[in-house]
Amino acid sequence: MIWLLVVLMGSLLMAQYSLTAGVAGTPPGQWPETSGVHRDPGLAKLVIFLHPRCPCSRATLGELERLMAHCQGLLSAQVWFIQPEGRKEEWVKTGLWPVAAAIPGVQVKVDHSGAEARLFQAATSGQTLLYDPAGRLVFQGGITLARGHAGDNPGRDAIECFLKQKMNPPASTPVFGCALGWNTKPEECTLCQP
Amino acid sequence: MQQATTLLRATVSEPRQSTSMQPDSALQRRAATLFRAAENELHRHTDQLFARLMIVQWLAGIAAALVISPLTWIGDSSQVHVHVWAAVLLGGAISGFPVWLAWRHPGLAVTRHVIAAAQMLTAALLIHLTGGRIETHFHIFGSLAFLAFYRDWRVLATATVVVAGDHLIRGLFWPQSVFGVLTASSWRWMEHAGWVLFEDAILLVAIHRMLREMSEIALRRATLEGSNVEIERQVVERTAELNRTQVELLETSRLAGMAEVATSVLHNVGNVLNSVGVSAELATSKVREFRVGSLKNVAELLQQHSADLPAFLSSDPRGKMLPDYLLKLAEHLAEPQQAILQEMEMLQKNIDHIKEIVAMQQRYARGTGVVEVLSVADLVEDSIRINAASFTRHEVNVACDIAPVPPLKTDRHKVMQILVNLLSNAKHALDHSEGDKRMMVRVIQNQAGRLEIAVIDNGTGIAPENLSRIFAHGFTTKKMGHGFGLHSGALAAKELGGTLHAQSAGVGLGATFTLTLPLEN
Repeated sequence: MIWLLVVLMGSLLMAQYSLTAGVAGTPPGQWPETSGVHRDPGLAKLVIFLHPRCPCSRATLGELERLMAHCQGLLSAQVWFIQPEGRKEEWVKTGLWPVAAAIPGVQVKVDHSGAEARLFQAATSGQTLLYDPAGRLVFQGGITLARGHAGDNPGRDAIECFLKQKMNPPASTPVFGCALGWNTKPEECTLCQP
Repeated sequence: MQQATTLLRATVSEPRQSTSMQPDSALQRRAATLFRAAENELHRHTDQLFARLMIVQWLAGIAAALVISPLTWIGDSSQVHVHVWAAVLLGGAISGFPVWLAWRHPGLAVTRHVIAAAQMLTAALLIHLTGGRIETHFHIFGSLAFLAFYRDWRVLATATVVVAGDHLIRGLFWPQSVFGVLTASSWRWMEHAGWVLFEDAILLVAIHRMLREMSEIALRRATLEGSNVEIERQVVERTAELNRTQVELLETSRLAGMAEVATSVLHNVGNVLNSVGVSAELATSKVREFRVGSLKNVAELLQQHSADLPAFLSSDPRGKMLPDYLLKLAEHLAEPQQAILQEMEMLQKNIDHIKEIVAMQQRYARGTGVVEVLSVADLVEDSIRINAASFTRHEVNVACDIAPVPPLKTDRHKVMQILVNLLSNAKHALDHSEGDKRMMVRVIQNQAGRLEIAVIDNGTGIAPENLSRIFAHGFTTKKMGHGFGLHSGALAAKELGGTLHAQSAGVGLGATFTLTLPLEN
């Protein structure tokens, strides 16, 4: 019985950790014209910010791949890999880079010193923003349901529903991932505390 | 167990052909005991299997955490990921207790139930560590199949309850962690548990069949054990009978050997008695030739002239012839007397020979089992002497080649029995030979230090197909033979620690029988 309680407690702690969302950003409601990202006329634009070494972000890319396959021709996507100050570009190009680059319709770029992340106020790896063809923010949040957890999730469903004009999506979902770091001090980020 | 016992009862109550005298109730009890033992062994073995598997799974979980999510990041600074600690600590906690139980208390019901629960919890941990990969969910179904090794439906029930409980709790508090959507039905967990139950149902059928097979095997084994007991009893009985028969056979062989020696003795005595009869007849005939009447006439003439005997001898013509007549009569009587004396001497020799043969027979028939130190040369010569008259009569030329060998410590009677039989057989082999009939008895000490007495003849020989069975009981090539002689000889040789071998180049090429004996017996 003690063993069962110990195991149960451990499982609960782990579940709690996995289901604790990261810091939610406050992205601009209208597409910032100063962004280095070019929007394609008539297409919605999806922007994702990733920490290049965040293990949870592989699940985000998996969900992005499904999303792009399901909504082909309805949107274009831009994935930004954060390059912290003082780190070389090789540090950024981990195993996630080719995975992202291989997804059709996705452009991959390095976000030097997190300039774009700052612009879009993205604080957590996996932060996903969807702007409609008119440049209005229609979705913000994550497209995984827990830290590094693959599978159907409300964020991806919301984007698909919007693009296919089936229903009004929720405005936001929680983001699960490592802190991008440009605006977070370690002591402030409970998410990243082991 | 109740299920198994029911199966067992059903199986043993079926009509069957029992090979033992064991009552059915005893058979059932034994079958139930064997079933429980097999089941316990299976549980212990499976516990150990799972203990090893759990250690491997724990290490695999750590490896997965280190590969998939080794670090968590804040910008460019990192720390060890919680998954790594979870794999080490939580994985260790999940696996440690069942491994300890399997090590310390294998075979107990609690051990396999804890293992079942731990296996499902391990599946949950691995699924979590691999980011909820659908492929990792297969671990649950694989684990259920592994748990079926226990052949205990209750273990599967425990595992299923753990899976269902995990889904129920998650479904209630974090539905998206199980079903991917927040709006999942509160009964969705039943759908997932249903698939587990689907596999459970299949596994339960398999478990039921395996238990029935186990109970049938236990019953067969119990029946076989009963048969074995009966067979062992029969073997013991038959062995005792065989031993008795062997003792009787040995006694028969011994008597047959003695009879053979006695036959040889009687045969030779008979031969000598023939000579005795001839000598007596010759002596009688010679005695009849004595001119007793002439002597009587001379005596009567002398009695008539007893008053004037000097004048009769000097003046009467018949008296004057009387001295010459007496002289001639004496000369005439001397010849048959010499012949009679010669026959008497022969008679005396023959009677001595008979006495000697009878004495030998008495000496050798005094009983077996007495070990004496003997001269090999004496043994050989005695054996030949017993058959001597027969050899002479059949004109067999017997030679001896006896090398200097140490004295033999053995049972005189048995060696004598063997040698007399070999010499008798050799004589028979020479009976129908034409030309020179030769027999040789050769004594040597071979390279192994053992004594070899070979009886060699140039008689009818032995066909190759008969060489292998010539020592078999009842085998004989003689018309009046009984097949005891060589068989009992071989047995006697074995009893003395030796061997008896036969060699022959073929029919008509003679034969050699070699008796090998240890010098120290």
